[in-house]
Amino acid sequence: MANSRRTIAASIAAAAALALVATGCSASGDSGKTTLSITTFGTMGVDANYEKYMEENPDIIIEATNLEGGGAARDDAYAKIAAGTGLSDIVAIEEGWLGSIQEVAGSFVDLRDYGIEDQADTWLDWKYEQGTDADGRVIGAGLDIGPQGICYRGDLFAAAGLPSERTEVAEYLGGDDATWERFYEVGQEYLAASGKAFWHSPRFFWNSFVNQQDEGYYKADGETLNIEGNNVLKEHFVGLVEAEMSGLGAKLPGWDVGPEAKEDKFATYMCPSWMLGIVQGYYDAGTTDSGWDFADVLPGGAANWGGAFLGVADSSQHKEEAAKLALWLAAPAQQAASFELAGPYPSTIEGQELVNDTTNEFFNSAPVGEIFAARSEGVVAQVKGPEDSNIQDNVFGPILDRVSQGEITDGETAWKEALTLLDQLVGS
Amino acid sequence: MALTTTGHRPPAALTFKQKMARLDYKASPYLYVAPFFILFALIGIFPIAYTLNVSVYEWHLLKGQGDFVGIANFQAVLGDPFFWNAFGNTISIFLLSAIPQLVVATGIAALLDQALRWRTFWRMSILLPYIVAPVAVSVIFLQIFNQYHGPVAGLLESFGLDPIRWAFDVFPSHVAIASMVNWRWTGYNALILLAAMQAIPRDVYESAALDGASKVRRFWSITIPMIRPTLIFVVITATIGGLQIFTEPKLFDGRTNGGGDRQFQTIVLYLYELAFPRRDFGRAAATAWILFIIIILAGLINYAITRAIRTNEVRAVKIPAGALPQNTFGGRK
Repeated sequence: MANSRRTIAASIAAAAALALVATGCSASGDSGKTTLSITTFGTMGVDANYEKYMEENPDIIIEATNLEGGGAARDDAYAKIAAGTGLSDIVAIEEGWLGSIQEVAGSFVDLRDYGIEDQADTWLDWKYEQGTDADGRVIGAGLDIGPQGICYRGDLFAAAGLPSERTEVAEYLGGDDATWERFYEVGQEYLAASGKAFWHSPRFFWNSFVNQQDEGYYKADGETLNIEGNNVLKEHFVGLVEAEMSGLGAKLPGWDVGPEAKEDKFATYMCPSWMLGIVQGYYDAGTTDSGWDFADVLPGGAANWGGAFLGVADSSQHKEEAAKLALWLAAPAQQAASFELAGPYPSTIEGQELVNDTTNEFFNSAPVGEIFAARSEGVVAQVKGPEDSNIQDNVFGPILDRVSQGEITDGETAWKEALTLLDQLVGS
Repeated sequence: MALTTTGHRPPAALTFKQKMARLDYKASPYLYVAPFFILFALIGIFPIAYTLNVSVYEWHLLKGQGDFVGIANFQAVLGDPFFWNAFGNTISIFLLSAIPQLVVATGIAALLDQALRWRTFWRMSILLPYIVAPVAVSVIFLQIFNQYHGPVAGLLESFGLDPIRWAFDVFPSHVAIASMVNWRWTGYNALILLAAMQAIPRDVYESAALDGASKVRRFWSITIPMIRPTLIFVVITATIGGLQIFTEPKLFDGRTNGGGDRQFQTIVLYLYELAFPRRDFGRAAATAWILFIIIILAGLINYAITRAIRTNEVRAVKIPAGALPQNTFGGRK
């Protein structure tokens, strides 16, 4: 008898435990609300829209995580895909590692099942195309794109006797025909007049150049490397190293240079749309007299750098609701709100029209909407290969740092060392 | 007949209760210790074995298991210059942290072993750094070791010296990382060594003092040999921790895998780079096993060295100790 009573007690306990586990999964269901998790990174401005969505959809609670860097977001997503569990319902994916996500596209739902095709026309063609994998599944709803202009310090330009008004600066750098050679020349003028460096690190200017080519680190097939024997890349690389060695560089790291910016250690920054929020982040909120301005010009012609997508995890418990939210966040009106908050430029045509009149107070009230519209004319994103971000961060980045630090002093050697490093990292 | 009936009863005659009692006596101890071993098997042995399994396959982080490749992953790791760079960095950071840390910890423990006012206060204070989360420690140290704006840079500048490139040059970056480790672990080790020192009978010191042994002599000839087992423990745990160092170098420059040019990439950071940014899970698993073997070897070497040194000193002490007059103060305590 005693035994059987114990058995009963045990089975009750087990049932209770099971019930706890079961309710743990659907705890949100009890209150009639659905909790949707979303993971973003950097200054994407998506958070501008959460409140509004929850107001309009009182049965949805958005639980947002924003990771500091794209690298952290990438490692986080990889680890969770590998584990097969733990991905947020909605995950922001960066262009640089979208290629490797597409190798395991099954981890994300096909947004065509949730009606993305009906709105396909709203996006720039190439942006929509990028979010589509080889089998035609759409795994990411395009968020922002990265057309680039030049951020510059109007006050420092003026002090050095250079033109400081933004249209004059663009014109001075060559306007539509701006070349890298002219950019270096202006840098030399600035250096001669002020005795100070022109840029923080050659890294950003190198990445911009690579993004400007029809084919970057990879051929258009996205599989064949396009670096060794590529004279266009090599010549520019050598030229950039020489410009850095001639004193144009402030010998700083590529990122996190807020204090140095405030100390006037450099006067220009390469600014893809998402970079505006980062530069602004170096200063206290509400700052408007930092001296930074934004010019409608890019040496060598228009190019896209970066941009993100929103994917819905296949492991999500609420795919329907998550897809609805993701598509809403990537819709023109919300893209416009994100742009106004943090600067990432809309990837939908209507979104771009909505922000056309937007100005940015931090950048001396520059008409950023208008400038980005001009900067994105003719932009088509390059095909990225699986190791693209690895090559950018771990091959050319470190070599250019060593150049900045005076450890490699000529372009030929730097290029050779980059090829060796490339071989060690990607070749094997 | 009588013999057979009064002889040993056949075991079958045990009652159920007796049987249970016997089982209880024999099996219970194993049941009591079982939770640890079950947990250890689940979260200790299983991952180690599974890692070995992963390491002999081509295993893409996202795409999963591929072809069986035998020891090819191990060969690839051992043939990779980045691995040996990471190995050198790890040993360098380990030596820069473990040696000063243990020397200082032993010194602090010896000081705290004295009759001090507010003893508990001092003893608790040295544990404080250990309680602070490593992430918080890194934030503080990143400020201190900022090449351009840190207090160290300011100090150097006021002497007219060039700034030290903490995050860019190999040796300074190792010093900076080791100092984070030292700050965090010195107090912890000191407290463990102090506990061992407290267990040394006071009359040993008194006898030595009567014999005219100086404080320094008592420290070297009594304290150190008597805390030998604890020293071995502390050295081995410091070795394991030191070779697995990850948090401090990772946070020292969060955007890179241990420095743009791998100036302070440790073995675990190398493993992390293989596993995540490069998505080669097979090689990462092989690296984990290589590290496992390195740690076992380092532990054995440490054990042997610590043992050899201390045994000599114990012998040196024992001879005069045996010649001492019979413990005149023994009963006083």
